[in-house]
Amino acid sequence: MRRTTITVACMTAAALTMTACGRSADNGGAAAQTGAAVSTGAAKGNLTMWAMGAEGDKLPELIKDFETANPGLTVKVTAIPWNAAHDKFMTAVTANKTPDLAMVGTTWMGELAGSDALDPTPSQIDKSAFFDGAQKTTEVGGTSFGIPWYVETRVVFYRSDLAKKAGFDTVPSDQAGLKEMAKAMQTKAGAKWGLGLQAGGTGSWQSLMPFAWSNGADLTKDGGKAYNFDSPQMLESMKYYQSYFTDGISDKAAPATPTTEPDFASGKVPMFISGPWEMSGVEKVGGAGFKDKYNVAPIPAGSAGSSSFVGGSNLAVFKSTQNRDAAWKLVQWLAQPDVQAKWYTMSTDLPSVKSAWQDPKLTSDKKLAVFGKQLETAKAPPSFSTWEQVVANLDTELEKVTKTGADPAAALKTVQQQADSVGTGQ
Amino acid sequence: MSAQTGMTGSPAGPVTPVPAGLPSGPGNGSTRQGSARPSGGPAGRGRRAETRAAWVLALPFCILFLAFTAWPVIQSFFMSFTDTKAKDLKHPFSVNVIGLDNYTKALSDPIFRKSAVNTAYFVLIGMPLTLVMALAAAVALDKGISRFRAVFRLGFYLPVITSIVAVAVVWRFLLQDPGGLINTALGWVGIDGPNWLGDPKWSMPALIMMAAWRNFGTAMIIFLAGLQSVPAELHEAAAIDGAGVWQRFRNVTMPLLRPTLLFVMVTTAIGYLQFFEEPYVMTQGGPLNSTMSLTYATFNQFGFGNYGLAAAMSYIIFVVIAIVTAVQFRLLRERS
Repeated sequence: MRRTTITVACMTAAALTMTACGRSADNGGAAAQTGAAVSTGAAKGNLTMWAMGAEGDKLPELIKDFETANPGLTVKVTAIPWNAAHDKFMTAVTANKTPDLAMVGTTWMGELAGSDALDPTPSQIDKSAFFDGAQKTTEVGGTSFGIPWYVETRVVFYRSDLAKKAGFDTVPSDQAGLKEMAKAMQTKAGAKWGLGLQAGGTGSWQSLMPFAWSNGADLTKDGGKAYNFDSPQMLESMKYYQSYFTDGISDKAAPATPTTEPDFASGKVPMFISGPWEMSGVEKVGGAGFKDKYNVAPIPAGSAGSSSFVGGSNLAVFKSTQNRDAAWKLVQWLAQPDVQAKWYTMSTDLPSVKSAWQDPKLTSDKKLAVFGKQLETAKAPPSFSTWEQVVANLDTELEKVTKTGADPAAALKTVQQQADSVGTGQ
Repeated sequence: MSAQTGMTGSPAGPVTPVPAGLPSGPGNGSTRQGSARPSGGPAGRGRRAETRAAWVLALPFCILFLAFTAWPVIQSFFMSFTDTKAKDLKHPFSVNVIGLDNYTKALSDPIFRKSAVNTAYFVLIGMPLTLVMALAAAVALDKGISRFRAVFRLGFYLPVITSIVAVAVVWRFLLQDPGGLINTALGWVGIDGPNWLGDPKWSMPALIMMAAWRNFGTAMIIFLAGLQSVPAELHEAAAIDGAGVWQRFRNVTMPLLRPTLLFVMVTTAIGYLQFFEEPYVMTQGGPLNSTMSLTYATFNQFGFGNYGLAAAMSYIIFVVIAIVTAVQFRLLRERS
């Protein structure tokens, strides 16, 4: 009897809440916005800032300079581990307990801006100062939310000593040439695998897209309103990617824990495509003198020139901040070329501001210049809030293509269908 | 996932404490009637005070239960019928009710289907394997091993209390190809071991092995307790009647062990149906989704911000667990 009463009560309550809900009609595709101007003068008050990983640990030291320049200001930096960060941000947005500003992963922009949590970038910030591909990662629906803080891009790493044995001085600048070189590494330089490409798993799309973008692929269509995976350029690139596995140049069954650095140092896999962090990675494993045994080269050009993947992190100010002016001033300061160059020496994070690359701290390294050049043409995936979900399907299908020899056209069709059913989430 | 733990916790929750707060014992009905009279006697007043005190004492639990168990369950259940996305969390009720769409979507999702097959594979092979290993170890500890018994008991139980993160590191070394301990050992007897975690055919067996190794300790301890409660006289009597060791085990030990077996089977099945940690730390569901489990697929949907769909998936898993548990109770119930 008692239980029936409770059940009835619960069901009534549920029914009442059901009738009370429903989305409000205005799902407005608002026009591009620009944030209100920020006041001039020194920044004052308190700021809370979140940053992830190594950046979170090293940032307080850099910010001390800003605090000295603005005596009335205290900045509290909270370091957050990467794997907990996404959840923490979403919870903070839900509870309206966001920090004033934060370092934000480039792929979260769509989600955070979609939750109406971010403040549009004010007009004082010069958007053309940043690498174009990086600047695009801050834009959601035409509005820029925040700035790119640091960047990374992918280039070809190769063993220059083994390349000589294989008959190559440098990496050819076209895609067919890259494959020839990888093959020669196997036949003439004793490599087990010519080129280390990711056969599947999370993030393998990042190895595919440099080729696809070089071939002129565009992941959006209808004026940036829909996903576009089954384009001829994507198909061409996926076929090219697959050929490395069918021709036995790349390893289908790479071990679950990547062994990129030791394999590179031993010459087992003398070429791979990765980001700037691998420079210190391979030099650490390779030991003294290894610096001169390898080099980096831009991604070989396709029909649309050489392009690559641009990643990194952005800086964004949250709408709920009580100290908007000070927050944006800190962002502006972090985007100053000299501060960006100093930050590079502290963290090895590459500057997102183009002019910072003129700084002697960066120009002295020849390998680094390759990354700087590549960044000019590197591209970022669309900032749709459903990107992570859609691209997980691309990872799955790409794995089928590389490992089981599935048809690339059918794979892309599946990805496109799933992308269409998920939608862009805008 | 939160939905499930909430649900599994709930059956014991609301039922026990509330009646405990009510007056009980013989003559319960008549006294309650008596106390309902306005001019209730001193006995009735005492009862009423007692009831009130009981409610006051039960109140903290009730509030906590309603706020942290019942409400999340109701809300997640509600969520499973709506198109809730991560960005709706600020306004959880301004979403559209879409009926059973999430459920049909979940059941037609190729990855969810594949993960259902994988989970069934894991449970059907992994559970018997775990139980056999646990029973064998328990029998050995009960009868066979007399020296260093405590050491062995600790050794078998140690994986249970070791952090999965540490276990993962060690097992990745063991399973590495080439050069892992397992493949090296197989090489000694002339077998060319597979690329355990890299080959879609072998990734699941590798995880089953690891899960069985990691979990059989708990079952072993419970079996051991069950074995030790089998009266020695029954064994003696059977031995005098001429029953061999195997006959005694089958006809004396096993029937008496049935309640223990039921308990171990049910808890293991519930745990294995929610198979998550092993693929999460070892393979991320790969290669080719060959180790994607139901809970992992659900977890991914939560990660993508599809809260409605993920909640529906959680409830599907809950229903499966309930059915599997009910079937086990039916098969192994006491036949008197």
